[in-house]
Amino acid sequence: MTVWATMRIALKALYANKLRTVLTMLGIIIGVASVITMVSIGQGVSKSVEANISSLGTNILTITPATIKSGGVHQSGFMVQTLTVDDSYAISTECPMVAYASPMVRRSMQIVYGNQNWNTSVYGVSYNYNLIRNWNVAQGEFFTEQDVKGSSKVCVVGSSVVENLFVNDNPIGQVIRVQKVPFRIVGVLETKGEGMGGDQDDCIMVPYTTALSRISRMKYIQSIVCSAISEDMTNAAINEISSLLRQRHRILDGEEDDFTIRSQMDLAEAMAETTGMLTLFLSAIAFISLLVGGIGIMNIMLVSVTERIREIGIRMALGARGGDVLKQFLFESMTLSLFGGVIGILSGVVLSLLLARFADLNTFISVEAIVISFLFSAGVGVFFGFYPAWQASKLDPIEALRHE
Amino acid sequence: MRSSEIYKVIEVNKLNKIYDSGEVKVHALRGVSLFIEKGDLVAIMGPSGSGKSTFMNILGCLDKSTSGEYFLDGKNVSNMTKDELADIRNDLIGFVFQGFNLLSRTSALENVQLPLLYSRARAYHSKERDELAKKALDSVGLSGRYNHQPNQLSGGQQQRVAIARALIKNPAMILADEPTGNLDSRTSVEIMNIFQTMNRRNGITVVLVTHSDEIARFADRVIVLRDGKVKEDIRNDNPENAEEMLKQMPLPEDDL
Repeated sequence: MTVWATMRIALKALYANKLRTVLTMLGIIIGVASVITMVSIGQGVSKSVEANISSLGTNILTITPATIKSGGVHQSGFMVQTLTVDDSYAISTECPMVAYASPMVRRSMQIVYGNQNWNTSVYGVSYNYNLIRNWNVAQGEFFTEQDVKGSSKVCVVGSSVVENLFVNDNPIGQVIRVQKVPFRIVGVLETKGEGMGGDQDDCIMVPYTTALSRISRMKYIQSIVCSAISEDMTNAAINEISSLLRQRHRILDGEEDDFTIRSQMDLAEAMAETTGMLTLFLSAIAFISLLVGGIGIMNIMLVSVTERIREIGIRMALGARGGDVLKQFLFESMTLSLFGGVIGILSGVVLSLLLARFADLNTFISVEAIVISFLFSAGVGVFFGFYPAWQASKLDPIEALRHE
Repeated sequence: MRSSEIYKVIEVNKLNKIYDSGEVKVHALRGVSLFIEKGDLVAIMGPSGSGKSTFMNILGCLDKSTSGEYFLDGKNVSNMTKDELADIRNDLIGFVFQGFNLLSRTSALENVQLPLLYSRARAYHSKERDELAKKALDSVGLSGRYNHQPNQLSGGQQQRVAIARALIKNPAMILADEPTGNLDSRTSVEIMNIFQTMNRRNGITVVLVTHSDEIARFADRVIVLRDGKVKEDIRNDNPENAEEMLKQMPLPEDDL
């Protein structure tokens, strides 16, 4: 029997029971649509996380003091002062794989402009910090090497700070106070958007020298931020920095580092793992609903076989082999699941687009999800259709013909 | 009109069939041996329990004998597998049943084509299938009923569709199981007329299984089974002519 003839028989049988066919397909449609939607939500989340991480710069390395055991008590890395400005200078001059290095001290503080005030992150950094972060200045310019050397009371502000403090005024040249210390604004940074840990634009940057000498709560540098000359060289840079710092800190072989070097890649990997788990979790739920749809198909196919025992008997008497009957019923269940799959894919795509548009969710419709759920729904048809079809094919034609 | 040389369409030797359901053993056929010539119109008779149905199922290759041999159109089908038997049914046997056994919600044309769909010897294109089916329906007088579905046809018409279906692959024999069991007497004679015409004009071998003497009168040969054995085997050199008989019968008022 030709494939075409088998298909026509299957379509005819499904058409004869329209309502039942639609209801059975609904299980698969909902299953596939939820797979597509869930996966696209999961992937959307991980894409936006990825974008955030790469907006921080993938070649950036952050060196922080390691947690140190002193007297059996673990101290937080931020409480110990093992990193110095000289370390930062040494890294920038002695490590060929490092492009720039800057000491960093950071605190959340209240800043005041006229009668306005705002709580933001104050960064004490070097004049090259904008180069490390690959962060352009939109208005004015970044403070200079002279500003750093001379501990000038100048600052560069993020766009969120501008929005909140300077409603109408041009911020350049204005003076804001950080803990009573006046800082003149020399530049406004470009808007970077949401990043890891919140709004990246909600910050002001001052020379670290000024921070350490003028701002009472900033006593020592907390970390050193540097950039490798390229993303590929990140690991080489880590090795160079590590051996340099071990040497500078006089750490003997076999002793642990008193610092930690973290790259954005590590962070990216950790985040990818988290979002991967999210996608996996969402798709697991969706696949369960697809499975339920499959069981629905099996149920209906079993009913269908029982209803059509006589038809099967007639076909067998006229020369249908067991295999022909098997094929016929398998085709029916596959048609159910494939049609359901295609409709499910379309509705999943539409749903994802609607979610992206109206629910402010990042969704990413992946071709893999579409292909996999299409194949999976075909598989569901074969898997759950097989047992009923096999039962039909094993019928005894004499018994089947006698069946009322 | 039988030629002098005999061609045995059916030949069975010492056919035995035992149904074994654990404790109870039923001996349905006890050593049946006979042959049926090509072009014969044979009636197989017998009361219930005579093994008639069992014999028909074996002749129709729907069931296998416990022992003994069965040659159909020269092929030994006794030891064939299920699939091979399915192919034999498709190639060599045309079934006509008491209950018509047409597929519901399926046009006469498509019902008649069914055997062609399962043909393994060669594939038929849909155009060819339609042509052959139309020809078969024409030959049973249903030219205007191609697209009617079974529920739109009378019992006699449904049985004619079934006969057309049985004829479409030019089988070695037509095996009819109580073909007039569900029909009134005039329609029964009409159906027998079709069988007789096919048999006389085209030399098609017809095996009728019936318990009705009135139907058996139309056969050239009557085989009577009892208790799983051939009890009588009578040749009737002067069978009733259905065509003549129809002319004698009054037309019912609401005919067609």
